[in-house]
Amino acid sequence: MAVIAGRPKRGALLPKQFAAVTDSRLGSLGVYVLRRVLWMIPVVFFVIVITFSLMHLASGSPWDKAGGRQLSQVVIDNLNRKYGLNRPIYEQFALYVWNVLHFDFGLSYQYQGKTVVELIGGGWPYTATIGVLAFALIVPFGIGLGVIAALRQNSRVDYATMGFATFAASFPNFVIGALMIVFFSVLMYKWTGGEFFLPAGGWGVDDHLVMPAVTLALLPIAYTARLTRASTLEVIRQDYVRTAWAKGLSERLVVVRHVLKNALIPVVTTLGPTFAFLVTGSVIVEQVFSIPGIGRAFVQAVNSRDYPMILGTTVLFSLVIAVANLIVDILYVFIDPRVRLT
Amino acid sequence: MHLRSGIRAFTLATAGIVLATACGGTSGPQSQDLASPDKQVLNVNDGTEPNSYDPTQQTYTYEAGVGREVFETLLKSNKDGTDVQPGAAESYKVSSDGLTYTFTLRSNAKWSDGQAVKAADFVYGYKHLLNPALAAGYVDPFFDSTIAGADGYGSVDVSSASAIDTFVSGLGLSAPDDKTFVIKLQHPAAFFKWVVTLWVASPIRQDVVEKAAGGSFSSSDTTKPEVWAQKAETIIGNGPFKISEIVSKDHVTLVPNPNYWGGAPKFTKITEWFIEDANTAFAKYQTGDLDAMTVPLANVDLVRNDPKLSKEAKVYPKLTTFWMTFNAKRTPFDKPDVRMAFAKSIDRDKLNKQVQHDIQQSILSFIPKGMAGYDPSNKAQAFDAAAAKQLLQKAGVSASDLNKFKLLTRNTTRNKTLNQFIVDQWNTNLGLNMQLEVIDSKTVTSRIRKGDFDIYGPDGWGADYPDQQDWFDIFFKASCHSLNWGCVDLPGYDDLVKQADTELDQAKRNADYKKAQDQLINSAAVAFIFQDYEYNLIKGYVGGLTITAGDDQSLPGNFFWHDAYILKH
Amino acid sequence: MAIPVAAMEQAPIDWEVPEVQVGLWADAWVRFRRNRLAVVGLTIITFLIVVALVSPLLVHFGLLANPIKQNVDSIETGPGVNGHLFGTDILGRDTLSRLMIGSEVSLTVGLLVQAIIFPIGLTIGLTAGYFGGRIDNLLMRFTDIWYAFPDLLFVLVVVSVWRLSGSWFFQLIPIFGAIALVNWVGLARLVRGQVLSIKEKEYIEAARSSGSPPLKLILRHLLPNSLGPIIVTLTFGIPQAIFLEAVLSFLGVGIQPPQPTWGQMVADGVEAIYPNPTGVVFPALAIGFTLLAFSFIGDGLRDALDPRMRR
Repeated sequence: MAVIAGRPKRGALLPKQFAAVTDSRLGSLGVYVLRRVLWMIPVVFFVIVITFSLMHLASGSPWDKAGGRQLSQVVIDNLNRKYGLNRPIYEQFALYVWNVLHFDFGLSYQYQGKTVVELIGGGWPYTATIGVLAFALIVPFGIGLGVIAALRQNSRVDYATMGFATFAASFPNFVIGALMIVFFSVLMYKWTGGEFFLPAGGWGVDDHLVMPAVTLALLPIAYTARLTRASTLEVIRQDYVRTAWAKGLSERLVVVRHVLKNALIPVVTTLGPTFAFLVTGSVIVEQVFSIPGIGRAFVQAVNSRDYPMILGTTVLFSLVIAVANLIVDILYVFIDPRVRLT
Repeated sequence: MHLRSGIRAFTLATAGIVLATACGGTSGPQSQDLASPDKQVLNVNDGTEPNSYDPTQQTYTYEAGVGREVFETLLKSNKDGTDVQPGAAESYKVSSDGLTYTFTLRSNAKWSDGQAVKAADFVYGYKHLLNPALAAGYVDPFFDSTIAGADGYGSVDVSSASAIDTFVSGLGLSAPDDKTFVIKLQHPAAFFKWVVTLWVASPIRQDVVEKAAGGSFSSSDTTKPEVWAQKAETIIGNGPFKISEIVSKDHVTLVPNPNYWGGAPKFTKITEWFIEDANTAFAKYQTGDLDAMTVPLANVDLVRNDPKLSKEAKVYPKLTTFWMTFNAKRTPFDKPDVRMAFAKSIDRDKLNKQVQHDIQQSILSFIPKGMAGYDPSNKAQAFDAAAAKQLLQKAGVSASDLNKFKLLTRNTTRNKTLNQFIVDQWNTNLGLNMQLEVIDSKTVTSRIRKGDFDIYGPDGWGADYPDQQDWFDIFFKASCHSLNWGCVDLPGYDDLVKQADTELDQAKRNADYKKAQDQLINSAAVAFIFQDYEYNLIKGYVGGLTITAGDDQSLPGNFFWHDAYILKH
Repeated sequence: MAIPVAAMEQAPIDWEVPEVQVGLWADAWVRFRRNRLAVVGLTIITFLIVVALVSPLLVHFGLLANPIKQNVDSIETGPGVNGHLFGTDILGRDTLSRLMIGSEVSLTVGLLVQAIIFPIGLTIGLTAGYFGGRIDNLLMRFTDIWYAFPDLLFVLVVVSVWRLSGSWFFQLIPIFGAIALVNWVGLARLVRGQVLSIKEKEYIEAARSSGSPPLKLILRHLLPNSLGPIIVTLTFGIPQAIFLEAVLSFLGVGIQPPQPTWGQMVADGVEAIYPNPTGVVFPALAIGFTLLAFSFIGDGLRDALDPRMRR
């Protein structure tokens, strides 16, 4: 991780033959990434510990039903035996961890005969597609709006961005999604006699993606824009930027070379987790637009106490977040070479 | 901020079968009115993906909505729900002691791969259903309490293949020849003809199951027997449709089974979508992506006032009753007078006509309108605030004793709305200050199972088939923590109902069930609130639908889709 | 255009020279008051707080409709029907009254949650960023775990083991805990990122080499220079907390109906978005104004506390 200049580098503790590798910039980056990847093991382990305990603490068994006739104790005992839930809790835990080490995430309780890997593998592509699309909207629009708003502080553009951000943050995405369906599906269909409208939900790699991606992106765009604006304003006031203006450098040059580079640190920090959240799914967007993704699957798993599915999804999520944060930390170095990794 | 918010899933676990209010055309369509075969496509919303495509493992209505189309049981409900009619069996005989049922299969019944349906397939299907290791949800009480040898279902050691084999081979199921299937019962049961109409009682092909599993397997194996049900290609059924595509959590596509004995259906494709959000389904109906859907309660008036949509709306009864349950293990709800006071202080007409937009209908008794046993004559629970207050006084219970109690509520928007109204009724009419307790559905179930609640509701029951036997065992003492949550004390009730269940004379049965129903009403075992009605939008070009009260949720006419069609439009 | 508007507009501020030397906070207050938008924001918030405090009294004296009084004869009506200025909800309750009474809970949730998140996120972020090395690595791996924390499960556990009844404030305590526990991580990483980039800057180097103690260094230089993004994060957290309250209530933690809250009004309103879209628009507008007001105040505060703008 970042270390104050002058302190001995951790690489020095490595055997001599590695010295050549770790001394080079790329080499030290490689070692850093390797160490961070190894650190993911304890992170995932603790995530499993926490999830496993919470899961079993939450009231309700996987076999309780939402209504009507409940299963008899006998059938419940049979099911518990079938899925190994009759064993002591520490044994279940050890077995789970052992299986995970063999990349076996178990069978879903809710969907009979389906493995967790199959279920996640089936749903993730949908979720990830929409997440990546939304992210592709967030980066240019969020940062772009934020920089413009900062450079033209208190101008109309600034106020418009502010208005948009307020709107996006105060209408939660289930409302935005529902409103979009009313306007772009139902009313557009009525007004154009069925000629032009956006499909109200369902999957398709075409105009089906528009509303979910926009709905998902709206709040992060607003937040990113506000964040970029705030951080750009901080930077603009720094002496070296004023000096740059004073030297008469072109606006573009100042913005790109001096302002953006320094202003992007907080933006990149939040974009990492944002990306992770986007590609692991928003239950609300998936539900409103009826997308068969894993955001919905996770909430269903929690609601039906589908233990292996809950664990599988959480492990996946913890890996995605760890990777995203690793990328952020590496990006710091490229944005601001003074920040150093060890 | 990343809390992934809760889900809104209102699933009534009880599957409906039965009753009929036949709508739809009676005379056959003229062929020039029919849309071309490529337009014979029906798009409907099944709401949720089935947890399994193996019919024996299904429990919920959204699962039955697929299972029923792909597999055909021995008998089916007739169009008006008054009796059974032939399904895969062309006839059946009951021995004079009522203990042996002999089914004769249709000679031309075929599987979707062209093979003949044999009695052995039914034996295999029933044994698959009754395998304790597979723990199917719909065995108890329909099959384990009726089929000879199945009463030991609960005590089988499921880790031992030989114990399972012994149990399964001891069941009263046999196939003397390819077309004769015989079931022996533990006791006479006039309702058993209905039990075999349950979609879980489907035939299953041993060779299909074993081929998918990669060979034969031990009976204690719980994974291999389910492999066949994972892929569209290996799901071989004997129903009018077969599955051509499964897109997990999105939709399942059904196409005609060309070998079906009744001829291929007119629909060339049915897509059942899994759309959870009711407003999204409403939008998709309006943009032409769905041909039928259930109108969300909030939009009922909108549909009624819309010149176009109002013409496509249909309202029809479901065989489902809802009520409020009092925990009779907690004083003062052990006193019938107190329970009755609560039952009598709910203005049901205000609830159903206003809050529920006059779709659901008030009911003061147990058995819903549309099946034998419906009896609106007993009005003991009718709304009467003054009488309710007197009952409380008579029981010596003051308002302050009752204020600490809470109404336990599942976290669905509908339940939240209904219960806010009901608590308000109690508070207004009885002078109380009770509160609501809204909690996630699983926690509610685990609490009512433990008896950790004061009042819970609305709870309901939907008919599995239109025989009263399916209803009255809910309030057995023995089902205290699996259905009769309130554990209410009903002296003599169990014996009365059991007698009616095993009686073969229908008139005697009806008389006994009437006594039982009066007991439930008069002792205010629960407070009956309303009967469920379905308010559906169905496009005008969907013809030949036979809508029954037993149709699976939001799939209008799905018992008889074989005869339905799309008109030119 | 060579010189951006922003650069020009800052110029006059630099020339302000107070006649008397004043302290940091008094000075900041002077500059805060000169920021028109910030004053507007402060006015809105004051107004909302007055509404929150006075509404129960108005209901008590019959000047405002009772927010839990049902009238099923006029449900889901639009604005202005039957004397309901903002219309009614699914049980015929007055929307205006529910909005006003609901402000009490929603403002408390929005603000208190941020008040809990702020010190936690700030401490962890500053510590990790400033000390770096092993401390940073451990703290950040710890936040990685919390990022993946299954909050939905956590809430369900809270439901089953920790249920508080009584007044709405007590019902809220698990909500504060649940929301704050999982939401400090974003702030922590943000602060750490800021510190990482700022601490290598020349003036920090200078301060360090002149022997300033770490804590002083952090509070004097690192904090003020990271304030902008932190304020944005905190203000954006307010509406999110208000909506989360609705989700949590739905799951059974926290405020139970019929007590109105803005988040629950939005969640309930979306069900009836076809017949009565105003049911969702009014509470969302109330939340929007709150956010706007806090954004204005945040901007004003940041400017007022900016060390580079002090004399």
